[in-house]
Amino acid sequence: MDTSQLLKGVLDLAVLAVLRDADGYGYDVLRRLRAAGLEDVADASVYGTLRRLFQAGALTSYVQPSEEGPHRKYYGLNKTGHDLLARSTKTWNHFADTMSVLLEEEAA
Amino acid sequence: MNSTLTGAVAIYLTQVRAELSDLPPGELEDVLQDVTDHLTEVAGEFDTEPTSSDLQERLGTPRQYADELRTAAGYPARTEPVSQDYLTSGWKALRWGLIAGTVGPFFVAVSIFAWSHDETAFFGLLGLGVLFVAAFLGVRALHGNDPRIVLDTPRGAQWATAVRGWIDQLPPNVRHELVTIGQPVWWVARGMIGAGGFFALFGAASVTVVGAVAGAAVSIWIGRRTQQDRRWLWYVVPLNVVAAVAVPAFLAAAYVGASFGFLDNYNDYRGSTRSYEPPAKGVVVNGSTVSNIYPFDAQGKQVSVRLYDQDGNPISMELQDCATSYGNESRDTTTNLFPQAVVVPDENGDTGPDNCKETTKAPFVPPPAPATRTTSPTPSTVKPSGTPTPGVTLTVKPTR
Repeated sequence: MDTSQLLKGVLDLAVLAVLRDADGYGYDVLRRLRAAGLEDVADASVYGTLRRLFQAGALTSYVQPSEEGPHRKYYGLNKTGHDLLARSTKTWNHFADTMSVLLEEEAA
Repeated sequence: MNSTLTGAVAIYLTQVRAELSDLPPGELEDVLQDVTDHLTEVAGEFDTEPTSSDLQERLGTPRQYADELRTAAGYPARTEPVSQDYLTSGWKALRWGLIAGTVGPFFVAVSIFAWSHDETAFFGLLGLGVLFVAAFLGVRALHGNDPRIVLDTPRGAQWATAVRGWIDQLPPNVRHELVTIGQPVWWVARGMIGAGGFFALFGAASVTVVGAVAGAAVSIWIGRRTQQDRRWLWYVVPLNVVAAVAVPAFLAAAYVGASFGFLDNYNDYRGSTRSYEPPAKGVVVNGSTVSNIYPFDAQGKQVSVRLYDQDGNPISMELQDCATSYGNESRDTTTNLFPQAVVVPDENGDTGPDNCKETTKAPFVPPPAPATRTTSPTPSTVKPSGTPTPGVTLTVKPTR
């Protein structure tokens, strides 16, 4: 199965998850997702997702100068973002459990 | 920060910008700032300045990149830029559609109110001719494009907005009623008047009713089809405009009783149906049902006969004797033996199942036999009467 297809459904959750511990700018979020094992994630869709979550009111945003030079737009979770992450996590866990049970039954 | 980008990266950014050019200006600038930041980071991944193919390998084509961004950000799908060619086609199609929808029905309406049959046919033909030629030219002007392009023309967009605004002014419940009740009525009306009027117009009055019913059926089918496939709407809307002119004109003509033109024709047809009466069951003479026949021979003596028609089929009537009136046993209840026995009321004028009486005697005094016949010496060679009484017709319909 193509991982990029699965990613489309859970990219919001993945982005919220990597922003839970620390704020990050676009390229940083992308790098963290890759590091976590989501190699197939498309660059542009991460930037798009950050934009949509920000416009939905789940993220805060601020600009910070970096040591290398360019200013960077950082994103972080606000209250709404934390709530959304909690709800989405629940939904995902339930879904993943259901799928696991289903697949085990199939194998048995 | 665009100034920090050079070479292939700057070109890539320009291409992405072009792909997103339909976004609102403020949003576009914000998004492009993100893209610039991203491309700056990506450029840093390469030891030397990346080439165009390096970037495409890493990020996909500018169009793919823009589409990914669009989908993830929840922007609407890209709308194709509108070319001048396309606008010209749309405007031409719109003009022909307007001519088809106004000039054509105008002449059809004139023909409905025309003062003679010749004028009706002339204006009817003219109207339908204009209608079909203009409609054909309109469809050809589309050059195979979706008819929706007429809305991309400035005038088309303006009118569509006006119509939309007008519809929005109606209260929602009225709109709902119009659609649920008005729509089926409208389908039937436009189909019947469209097809029925077409046949009536050209004097084919005999098929007008059939045509009208068939037209209603076709119209309902088109209506339902349009509900399922909205592309049909673009061809149905002009036809509706035509019908919207023709249907009220027809109804108005019918209301004021315009007894000329094709309505005259139509009324002639209606008149002819009135004179036709379906044959009644049984034996009918001059419109009255015959319940019994009393034959008399040439000498005026009552006789018993069996009657057959020209094909040898018995001319039968239902029995009216005691057994048929009161009996329970099932039996053949018709016979061609005349006179048939009929139930006789008793001295009190009553009839009943008990001691029922019947008779074959004629309930009238037989008229004196015609003088010419009494001179005939041999009753056995009586020839059938050569000329039946004019005006008398005997209609026979089998009773089963």
